[in-house]
Amino acid sequence: MFFCREDQHLLAGMAAMGKRGIPSGCHGGGCGVCKVRILKGEIDTLVMSRKYVSKTERLNGVVLACRTFPRSDIRLEVIGKMSKNVLKPVAKKKYGFV
Amino acid sequence: MSVLRIGHINIRVLDMDAAMNHYVNVNGMVKTHEDAAGNMYLKCWDEWDKYSVILSQSDTAGMNHIAYKVSSDAALDDYKKSIAEYGIDVVEEDAGVLECVGRSLRFNLPSGHEMRLYAEKEFMGTDVGSTNPDPWPDGLKGAGVHWLDHALLMCELNPEEAINKVAEATKFMIDVLGFYLVEQVMVGPDGDIQAATWLSCSNTPHDIAFVGGPVMGFHHCAFFLDSWSDVLKAADVMSKNRVKIDVTPQRHGITRGYTIYFFDPSGNRNETFAGLGYLAQPDRPVTTWTEDELGAGIFYHTRELNEAFTSVYT
Repeated sequence: MFFCREDQHLLAGMAAMGKRGIPSGCHGGGCGVCKVRILKGEIDTLVMSRKYVSKTERLNGVVLACRTFPRSDIRLEVIGKMSKNVLKPVAKKKYGFV
Repeated sequence: MSVLRIGHINIRVLDMDAAMNHYVNVNGMVKTHEDAAGNMYLKCWDEWDKYSVILSQSDTAGMNHIAYKVSSDAALDDYKKSIAEYGIDVVEEDAGVLECVGRSLRFNLPSGHEMRLYAEKEFMGTDVGSTNPDPWPDGLKGAGVHWLDHALLMCELNPEEAINKVAEATKFMIDVLGFYLVEQVMVGPDGDIQAATWLSCSNTPHDIAFVGGPVMGFHHCAFFLDSWSDVLKAADVMSKNRVKIDVTPQRHGITRGYTIYFFDPSGNRNETFAGLGYLAQPDRPVTTWTEDELGAGIFYHTRELNEAFTSVYT
């Protein structure tokens, strides 16, 4: 749980409070790692990359946290691709970068 | 025939106004052209050709193409022939297809990235001119970057499926475009998998780099700064403007460059890169980094590869 101002996006709010949980990437809606599903609450969003959030997903509450501003208390789940490193022990890369 | 340098990069942005504010007021570039489709063209103060960055409005971030300038118009014919002989489809585009540019070649690297080669681009001159110039112009904005220096492209690497687009792209750059290998990362149980390369066509440590990742993409484009103090000031400019910094001022082990990684408002990674590192030469021994010291190769001070380096790109 973390506090987030209405003029902060959810990722900035999390980081400013020293919290972790949503993977932090480009903070520009371009890389897709901070993908979350909004389970409860009202939000406003900025434009985000269609490559990572399809129209269907968007209609089902999927957003990038770095493009999402809270308008009420929010409940969300993390679905971003670095989430494995937050929720589980970091898998060792077998070949340096991959 | 030879490739002279990186000529420009065409980047997709989600919000053109935000992007222009970033590239003009944070990086310090100047808008020099706008085409009928609304693409924006920008140059750095120390560059003499018309533009080095093209921004294109899109619903995804990333790179459309990367272009290199070659030594002469005749070189384009030679490259067209050698690229085709290598087995890669190459299309010759008329002058003007790329705005303010002469005829050009369009093809895809073995990694899938689209590349263009051209020999002529409209000349503008640097902001200090070429006669009795001052070392820098007045009125620079933001970081005041000198020139587009290089780009790093992420290439698919999956050794278990025998996929190594890093090695394939590297071989093409060397065999066909005449680049030479300056530094590399070798990984795997036997240290025989080329997982990243830095290649030069001039005498700087890299004019292009390839790094292996799960999927192909655009990792960053870098803009040159003169010194470590310029890098520090650039980081101040970024914080003032609430730019998301990925890696604060640090040294790369690879290339010895002084760096900041940061993101444009659409999440495309930029770098300010300072210091010439060393004089790259075709006969200089290739520097090899091993998997166990990979972290120090990328980030020399922390000696740790941050998760974002290979996970966060467009």
